[in-house]
Amino acid sequence: MTRSARFMLLLLISLISLGCRTESGTNVGDQDKLTVCLLPKIKGIPYFTSCHTGAQEAAAELGDIELIYDGPIDGDPKEQAELIEQWIVDGVDVICIAPNAPLVVANAMKEARDAGIHVVTWDADGVPESRSFFVNQATPESIGRGMVDVMIADVGPDQEGDVVIISSDATSANQNSWIDAMKPAIEESKLTLQTIKYPGENAANALADAQDLIKVYPNLKGIFGISSVSFPGAAEAVRQAGKSGEIKVTGLAVPSEMKSYVDDGTVNSVVLWNTKDLGYLTVQVAKALAEGRLTDSDTSLNAGRLGEIQIEGDNVLLGDVMVFNKDNIDSF
Amino acid sequence: MNQPRAVAQFNYWHELVLFGLLIGLLGLAEYLSPGFLSLRGQLYLSRHLWVFAIMALSMTLIIIAGGIDLSVGSAMGLCAVAFGVTFEMTGQLPIAIIACLLTGVLGGLFNGALIARFKLHPLIVTLATYAAFRGMAEGISQGESYSQFGDRFSELSRATLLGIPLPGYLFFVLAVLVGLFLWRTPTGRSIYAIGHSAEAARFSGISVNRIRIGLYTFSGFLAGLATVIYVSRFDTAKADAGRGFELDVITAVVVGGTSIFGGRGTIVGTVLGLLLIHETRQFVGRYWQVDELKSIVVGVLLIVSVLIYQLLVRQRETRSH
Repeated sequence: MTRSARFMLLLLISLISLGCRTESGTNVGDQDKLTVCLLPKIKGIPYFTSCHTGAQEAAAELGDIELIYDGPIDGDPKEQAELIEQWIVDGVDVICIAPNAPLVVANAMKEARDAGIHVVTWDADGVPESRSFFVNQATPESIGRGMVDVMIADVGPDQEGDVVIISSDATSANQNSWIDAMKPAIEESKLTLQTIKYPGENAANALADAQDLIKVYPNLKGIFGISSVSFPGAAEAVRQAGKSGEIKVTGLAVPSEMKSYVDDGTVNSVVLWNTKDLGYLTVQVAKALAEGRLTDSDTSLNAGRLGEIQIEGDNVLLGDVMVFNKDNIDSF
Repeated sequence: MNQPRAVAQFNYWHELVLFGLLIGLLGLAEYLSPGFLSLRGQLYLSRHLWVFAIMALSMTLIIIAGGIDLSVGSAMGLCAVAFGVTFEMTGQLPIAIIACLLTGVLGGLFNGALIARFKLHPLIVTLATYAAFRGMAEGISQGESYSQFGDRFSELSRATLLGIPLPGYLFFVLAVLVGLFLWRTPTGRSIYAIGHSAEAARFSGISVNRIRIGLYTFSGFLAGLATVIYVSRFDTAKADAGRGFELDVITAVVVGGTSIFGGRGTIVGTVLGLLLIHETRQFVGRYWQVDELKSIVVGVLLIVSVLIYQLLVRQRETRSH
């Protein structure tokens, strides 16, 4: 045969052999296992990767769970909707989603529920009718006030000055609920909230926003970075501007990511919760739902190694915030 | 010539091979992942296709005519914002839809005028509007997300008649109309002539400028139409609508056998290209459960299809001289 025909045949054969997978594939719909899909806001950032680790621990412990972890690399909520739609057709048992934009995925989530799939949200809430439970890391009050308390302690309780908040997406429900809790706490203090920025889950944008804010507000005393992307961005901006110690930075991020900033004094305290536990709890909730052990009227749930977990209405509460500083940051 | 005349003159080898690949893919997919071919599942997931499919129709015409339109994705963003703002101001869905379509038409007209009248290269012009439309959308909306258009509107992209979603019917009608236009009307046939050589076409009396303007305007109109379906599907009208879509649309058209140099292409090919890409993405997602893999496989598919095109069409063309 001709050279090009031979080449085409070779190409075709190699493509087909790609299809013969050797890795442990997902034989979706394996009858004796519960298929649980964990859908993060964005796949590949340390925050969600650690949640995944916790979820894998729960799946291993419970034994009969097939855990699928997939999500958009760029955080596109439309990709989230498409993944949900694919899973509806695949016939999974539970979908756990951390929505970036509740309205974009609401319809897909409702269709999943109509198809008999249990849907819960975790980390960030969605439209209430679109899910049965929200696995919440802590109450918005404890998260919001936790951060404000840390900032007041850092800046000094009697100090006046400007503070700013750098969030994530404007549509992100969790950040918005924390902001709602932070505003009154800031009002009560001597600090003034000047503005809120929404760079999305984009590190470059967060850095640029922080740099702008440092220039625009000469009386800036503190920056809140309330996403695991905007917190390092804000710290980097303060460090680059040479204002470590002058402008206090605190917020929510994976402690290991902030370690260098804590070491050089740019950041005193990192607020977070146990992300592995969040993932672990989500899988526990998924299994309890699928087996009918968790119903609307329950006020607590036995969640494996986490013990009895409180449920407030339709919020499953992991617990309280944790504050990491120089002393304990290495232990995470 | 060592082939019978009919075989040598058959111009649709690429489309035939695409069809074979599609059947092969579907067979392989069903074998490796049983249940893939369930009709209900296929119809349900077809919603991932319609927005690209509609815009691919006009893109096919434009590329056959030797041009390109990089601005369709950004046009969607501008149309979405027009839709959202208009709905917010009037509360009337029909007016918002008209605003959306009108924005698409005006954008396309702008492209067409610059390309035809001022003789600017389509790549440059639509690259500029790719940036400008998106910028305008972001500027007007300030990043705001418009939503809450009512359940009936959200149903528009989801409702089915005899199991087939409404956008599917819309696409089918459009595809048949555009296909017949391309195949059967003088203007349609002259698009191929323009693609081969615009100068020669002009000398044979074809109004190249008018047709070009018409094509880009049509592209803008279909972008607006696609936006209506898109906004209905996601319940959200935002400036980032359609980001990156121009590349997916062009990929489908090229996989479908339309030459990027112009002068060759069919609507049937584009439809096959769309289906091939769609089914590939669905299969990859279902089988590997790794989201990023979809784009990689589509990229490979594009390269493979261009190689096939080289083999079947271009060699044939040079041999027959």
